[in-house]
Parts: sequence; structure tokens; C-alpha cells
Amino acid sequence: MSHIHIPDGVLPLWLVALGWLVTAVIVGLAVRHSSRADLGRRVPLLGAISALMLVAMSSELIPIAYHVNLTVVAGILLGPALSVVAAAVVVTLLALLGHGGVTVIGLNVVVIAAEMVVGCLLFRGLLRVMGRQRSPWAAGVATVVTLALTTTMLVGIVWLGGTGAASRESGALDPSTLRFENPLSGGIFTNAIVAPEAEPEVPDAPLAVARFALMVYTLGSIGWVLEGMITGAIVGYTAKIRPSLVFEGATRAAASPPPGDEGVNS
Amino acid sequence: MRIADVDTIAVLGDSGLHRIGAPAKLVAFGLVLTAVLVTTNVLLIVALALALIAVVVGQRLPARTLLGFAAYPALFAALFALATTAGMLGVVLVVGKALCAALAAVLLTFTTPYPYIFAPVQRGLPALLGDAALMTYRSLFLLLDRMDKTLTSVRLRAGRPQSFAAGARMVTTALGGTLFYSIDLSQRTYDVMRLRGYEGRLAVAPQPRGPLSTRVATVAIAAVLLGVSVLWRVEWARLNPISWLPVLIAALVLLGAVAARVTRTIRTWKERS
Repeated sequence: MSHIHIPDGVLPLWLVALGWLVTAVIVGLAVRHSSRADLGRRVPLLGAISALMLVAMSSELIPIAYHVNLTVVAGILLGPALSVVAAAVVVTLLALLGHGGVTVIGLNVVVIAAEMVVGCLLFRGLLRVMGRQRSPWAAGVATVVTLALTTTMLVGIVWLGGTGAASRESGALDPSTLRFENPLSGGIFTNAIVAPEAEPEVPDAPLAVARFALMVYTLGSIGWVLEGMITGAIVGYTAKIRPSLVFEGATRAAASPPPGDEGVNS
Repeated sequence: MRIADVDTIAVLGDSGLHRIGAPAKLVAFGLVLTAVLVTTNVLLIVALALALIAVVVGQRLPARTLLGFAAYPALFAALFALATTAGMLGVVLVVGKALCAALAAVLLTFTTPYPYIFAPVQRGLPALLGDAALMTYRSLFLLLDRMDKTLTSVRLRAGRPQSFAAGARMVTTALGGTLFYSIDLSQRTYDVMRLRGYEGRLAVAPQPRGPLSTRVATVAIAAVLLGVSVLWRVEWARLNPISWLPVLIAALVLLGAVAARVTRTIRTWKERS
């Protein structure tokens, strides 16, 4: 459950604005931190890894929109600071493709950046405990834990937003003018005095959030396991072929040219 | 999502919207998006959706592809709405909002090559962020092509996957290969950038703005949509009983667009035969 699949105009303005504010701060800090080093090397690397995430997101595992995100893999390769920039780029591109709301870009960046940064740090921590030999397991566990955490962030955002309120507050959904009910649902003849018309039941926000959380945790947990397994497999494969990418990160690994290219840029 | 379709249609398309510069379309997109945000009336959302579909049909854009992209977020919005929103009207409103916002976004991206959309924004962003966004777009299609070829070769060797596990394994293998390719690609791009003397800012050539009248008309239509949305939000008590009116107008516009497209198709078909 990587990005918030909440459409535009549902969350309150203050929450959306807060998302943008937090994004501006974290992206600003990340850019400031990352721009100190070789910009020419970091720009293509960021572009390639962000594009890899988009390619992964466009590859459906099951044809009901279950796709991998490779956020933790990208986090491991890029490190925490560049991950935040990559999250901003990926979310903006996704919004332009209609995938995820435009106004919720800020909140989406916060969630995806958290996923990449926490995933990266957790993987590094687990690697110290489990050892390099078990890097696929470390990556898998880090992914599942991170996705569970960011899903909880998503539920928290919906809870903060106070679900359902936006569609009722203005009264524009006045039932007297916009009712989609079957007019014969109570029979052809009804006695309004004996059986007065019941007011539609409106569940309060905590109930709605509980229902949303149930749905997200149920559907999401399948995704966490799938993503964890795939991340573990990819990290294991990478660790065998180019261990420096996994254990040092792509920025450091890229600083030393691939075998055969030594001396090309010197 | 077939992301490659976006670029093909945006670059090779020849609709009226393709001939308008990105800044005017960005403004129009902003206005339509605000209209979607402002309204809480189900019928107005339906009218907005019909109006946007009329633009797709009228501009002879590939309706199935665009609607497919717009339907993707609507699917997630439906799950969200069913879980959180009270009543059918609320569900329709949330799904409608998602559909309209996505449709407005894909109308922009399917008629404007990405570098031109991002160029006005890039100037105000830090070099790392702006250039990474442009580089992501460049890399995306190379990686998509690579992924596609890898999946094809895996299928040729192992056949179509017979189970979900086999399918997931195949995607994982292809993604692993694409990951290495992406790292090598970034190295090659770095070499090219060094040769060309990259100094921390990629430049995008300006796009022709298009005729002034079409630019003004595009923004004006979007402003009308926003005006209607704001009017209904403010004066909902008085206007709700006639909420069917915008739907009727939008439906008639859509009908006109469909008729024009069919007539044009028949004429073209006759000329060819």
C-alpha cells in the first residue's frame, strides 16, 4: 500500500496543505544534502532508479491492479536523502498519468519517502544482525515491516481527514433533490403515518475509518508479502552479481566504474 | 498501464489540443481540477465527466486508452469510497471526482510531450529535482522497452506462466535484469553528460504556443466549468433542484461531439474508398 489512492477533493484542505508543507521541507533538506556531492553523477542515477520504480508499478502481478513498487529496493540503492527526491519525482509523474490525485501529491510523497527511507534503514539494521549472507531475508522482512508501517500511516491520514464529511458538509447532497432510491421500495402504497420515513443512517467517522482500515489491512497484507518476496529475490540476485550495489548503495558503487571501464573518465 | 502509449500519443498526435502550448493547458487543467475539488454535487460531477469525455471524443483522441487510464484511479477510489463513505451518493461523488481529476490529467499528458509540461515547473525547482524529473522520463521508455524485451525472451524460453507463482517469478527475473540495465544506463548517461559539458541544469527547447484564440478558448471553457462548480457550491440551496441542467447540456455537447466524429469518420472512409 505504497501511495494513497484517495482522489482529489476528499481530504480536508488543511491536511492536503500540511502534506505539501512537509514535502517541501523534506525535499528541500534532501536536495540540500545531496547537491553537495557530484550532481552530474546523481541526476542520471536518480532518473534511472525512479524510472525503474515506475516500470515496476506498471507491471501488474495479478490483473486487479496488484503491482510491485520496488520502493525498498530503490531506497537501498539510493540511500535516504536521494530516496526522498526520487519519491517526489515518481509521485509527480504518477499524478500526471492520472494515478493518484494531484492535490494529494504532498501526502503521497511523505508516504513513499517514508517507505523508502525506513525500508533502507531497516534493511541496513537487519543486515548487521543477520549478516550479508541473509540479505534476501533482511530485505524481505524490511519490506513487510515498512509496508505495514506506511499502511498504518495511510489509515492515520484518513482518520485525520475525517472521512465522509466532505460529501455532506455543504448540504449539496440534499436527499430531497438528489435521491437515487427506488421509489417503490416500500411497496406501491405506503402509510407515512404508521410507517414514517426513516432517516438514512450515516455512520460516524471512527466506524468508517475502522471499515477502511479493515479493507486496507486485508488487501494490503497480501501485497506486503508479495512485495517482500519479490524484493528479497531481487536483492539476493543483486547481492550475488554486484554486491557493492546492495551493501554500499548505488551512489558509492557508481563512483567506482564498472570492470573494464577503469580510466575512461580519468 | 501502458505508459509508452502516453508518449506515443503525446508526440505523434495531431488534435487541436496538441497544437496548444503547455502553459495554457496547465492553466486550464488547474481550473478544471479546482472545479472538481469545489463541487460536492453528484450531478455536477457527472456533468463534468461528460464534458471531459466530450473533449476526448471531439478532439479525436483514442477514447478507450484515455478512459482506461482514468478508470484506474476510479477503481481505487471506489474501494476507498465503499469503505468510508455513507450512502450511494457519496460513493458516486468520490468515484466521480477521481475519474474527472484523472481524465483532466490524462487530457494534459496525452496531448503534451512531457518535457514541455515539466519545463515551466522545472525552472522554479532545484537543479537536482528538476533534472532528475526530466531524466526519469528519458530513462522510463528505455527501461520499459528493456522490460518488455526481457519478458518476451523469458516467455519464449519458458512459455506462458501456468500459475501465479510462475508469473511472479517471471516478473521478478525481468525486474532484476532491468535493475542492472538501469544502473548501466545511468553510468552511460553520466558519460554522455560529461562529454556534453553538463553544468547542473538541463535545458528544454520552448514549445510553440499555438494560436491565441485557441489558447484563450481553452482557458475560457475551463473557467466556465469552474464558474458553474463554484456557483452550485455557493447557491446550492437554490440551484439544487435544477442540477439536471448541467448534465443535460454536457450530454448534448457529448452527443454533438460523437455525431461530428462519426460524420468525419464516414467522410474519411468514403474518400478512401
